[in-house]
Amino acid sequence: MAHASEQTSSSDAILARVQDVFRAELDDEDLVIAPETSQQNLKAWDSLAHIRLVSGIENEFDIQLTLAEIEQTSSVRQFVELIRERAR
Amino acid sequence: MSEPPVPSPGAARLSVQALPWLPRPSGKMRDSIAALPSAPLDALSVLQALAQAAWNEADLRLLGRKIRNLLKSQPSGFAPEARQHGLLPVRILVLSSSTASHLADALIGTAIRFKFLLDVEIAEYEEPEPWLSRNSRELKAQPPDFVLVASDHRMLKLSSPLGDEAAAEQAIAAAIARIERVAEIAGAATGRPVILQTLAGDPEATQFNIDLGLPGSPRFLTNEFNRRLVRQARQDSQLVLDVNALASLVGQAEWSAGRYWYAAKHPFAGAMIALYADNLMRIVAAQLGRSRRVLVLDLDNTLWGGIVGDDGIEGLALGNGSALGEVHAALQRMALSLKQRGIILCVCSKNDEAIALDAFRNHPEMILKEDDIAAFRINWDDKAANIQAIADSIDLGLDSFVFLDDNPAERKRVRDALPAVAVPELPADPSEWLPVFQAAGYFEQPGFSKEDQLRAGFYKANALRAAQLQRIGNHEDYLRSLAMTLSIAPFDGAGLKRIAQLFSKSNQFNLTTRRYSESEIAAMASNADVFTIQARLADIFGDNGMISAVICRQSGTSWEVDSWIMSCRVLGRRVEEALLQHLVREARLRGITDIIGRYIPTAKNGLVRNHFAGLGFVQTDSQNGETTWRLDVGGYVEKDLPMKVDSPRGRNAAAVAGS
Repeated sequence: MAHASEQTSSSDAILARVQDVFRAELDDEDLVIAPETSQQNLKAWDSLAHIRLVSGIENEFDIQLTLAEIEQTSSVRQFVELIRERAR
Repeated sequence: MSEPPVPSPGAARLSVQALPWLPRPSGKMRDSIAALPSAPLDALSVLQALAQAAWNEADLRLLGRKIRNLLKSQPSGFAPEARQHGLLPVRILVLSSSTASHLADALIGTAIRFKFLLDVEIAEYEEPEPWLSRNSRELKAQPPDFVLVASDHRMLKLSSPLGDEAAAEQAIAAAIARIERVAEIAGAATGRPVILQTLAGDPEATQFNIDLGLPGSPRFLTNEFNRRLVRQARQDSQLVLDVNALASLVGQAEWSAGRYWYAAKHPFAGAMIALYADNLMRIVAAQLGRSRRVLVLDLDNTLWGGIVGDDGIEGLALGNGSALGEVHAALQRMALSLKQRGIILCVCSKNDEAIALDAFRNHPEMILKEDDIAAFRINWDDKAANIQAIADSIDLGLDSFVFLDDNPAERKRVRDALPAVAVPELPADPSEWLPVFQAAGYFEQPGFSKEDQLRAGFYKANALRAAQLQRIGNHEDYLRSLAMTLSIAPFDGAGLKRIAQLFSKSNQFNLTTRRYSESEIAAMASNADVFTIQARLADIFGDNGMISAVICRQSGTSWEVDSWIMSCRVLGRRVEEALLQHLVREARLRGITDIIGRYIPTAKNGLVRNHFAGLGFVQTDSQNGETTWRLDVGGYVEKDLPMKVDSPRGRNAAAVAGS
């Protein structure tokens, strides 16, 4: 589906959907994230939340992260890059 | 010519973990939650309707969290109010040595599909024994309704040397003893049934084709453990969540958590949580008397292939001769196997009744016979109205109904008009129906008793009684014509299973809706301060089996009626009057002066609101719809009732009087 890949390949569109996942998984409807948002600067993003975020992103974008990616991803920028790679 | 079946959207084959029997969700969970009405009960009823769709795990978590937050901010009087709207608060404790907290919200989101407001407590990353002993006081003070021992092979660490039968036996026996001990501690602390889990096979283990017969191999150990566990559970009246069966259904590799085990100690894959949660809630529902009990079947293109009105009996695809015919024969065999489990079969079809019944009587390949069907509604009326009429005629609530129909438009119509009825989605290809239908597990039962096999017969006999009443006209004369015998006895070992079942299943004729497990019932049988009754009713049309149970707790010279339940099959037969007469006689023998009755309203027991008034009790209190009643034993006047009463003590008393 050309339409879908167009949509997922735009970083802004991906970021908006990632933000929806973050809001849902961290139970914070007003949360605003940016590519710089990371485990270091977002307090709610602890190790338990990380697994929820991974699972939420896998569900939202219908992709699968490897164990190494689960371990190494610690910023929104990394999530967005992974999603773009998978969408290709 | 008939209309071709409308293919449902997304007719591609769905996996079991996608809950294919449920309608696909429309819209986003997020948006639905944002648009909820502000009154909490209204919000919950919207969420309850929303939960009927096949949401994935992430959406179930959102749903569950919303419910949790809604309930958190409610005053304490909210639970009874919710109960009157059919939403039952249920507390469950989950014991897991792996991660379990990630399940909590998805369980809550699934529970409301079954009309439960679930409160989940999680004990994780820890062996259950130390947790239980550390928390025993809190457990006793505030016992959960259920304890789930969510053991997995990582907790049990089953292992023994390959090929050593004695060592394997020892390892299995030790693991079983351990689970039994946990169940016993949890059961004793809470006084409630415990749910045990079988072990899923481990796809990461080394296993060869010979391994099922090789002592000490992972497959041998898992298999023997599971077999032993479920037998022991049946003996001890524990409940079982057969995780191994679920994993087999979807495939062990799919079931396995893989990355999520290594990253976060999840016991199984996230994509399986919706299926796991649905299964767990079926067990809870069955134990609380909320399983489905009636299967209503469509005829054309469901029970047989083709349209009998157009194609004639000879033109139907049924049984040998065509592949499609064999599919429909398989469906009939499935229905018959449900009947053997005590499920009541009914037919609802848009057809000419004479033609459709002719197919039942004269098609040589019909597996279901006219006699297997408790009620027929064959006409051209709306199916929702017909299903309602069936429910009225056999005296069962719509929420015990399942409606099976090939036509998506009829399914939608019934689902919209009668949301309480379960209407499974079906794949477009009939050869794929049965696995989907079976995976839905609508008819889950917590145990199996002799009554289950006889139940269909009970409903059939009731139809004969209805005909007798119509012939005789006068109700009292009709009752005398039945030549009823009521056999009354205290609770005993032989009746245990059926009494427990009656307690778990009775919702309508149930004054207080207190649920008791087999072990609690056994304890009452030997408690001198508790007076109990179990009653059976037989008549010229047959034995109705055990139909009523009463529990009185003594305090001073009073009896408080803790529970009074009766099967709705014997409504209007004056059984309750005969039981009261028996209670009064026994009370007099024991110096009891007052019998205190209590009615606690639920969404389902409006039928017995005036039970005690009808029996001559005087109301003494009323609070939030809950009423208290009193009967002066001395003032009770004996009645002449249209049945013979047979009770062991009555016989003894007569023998004494005669000597």
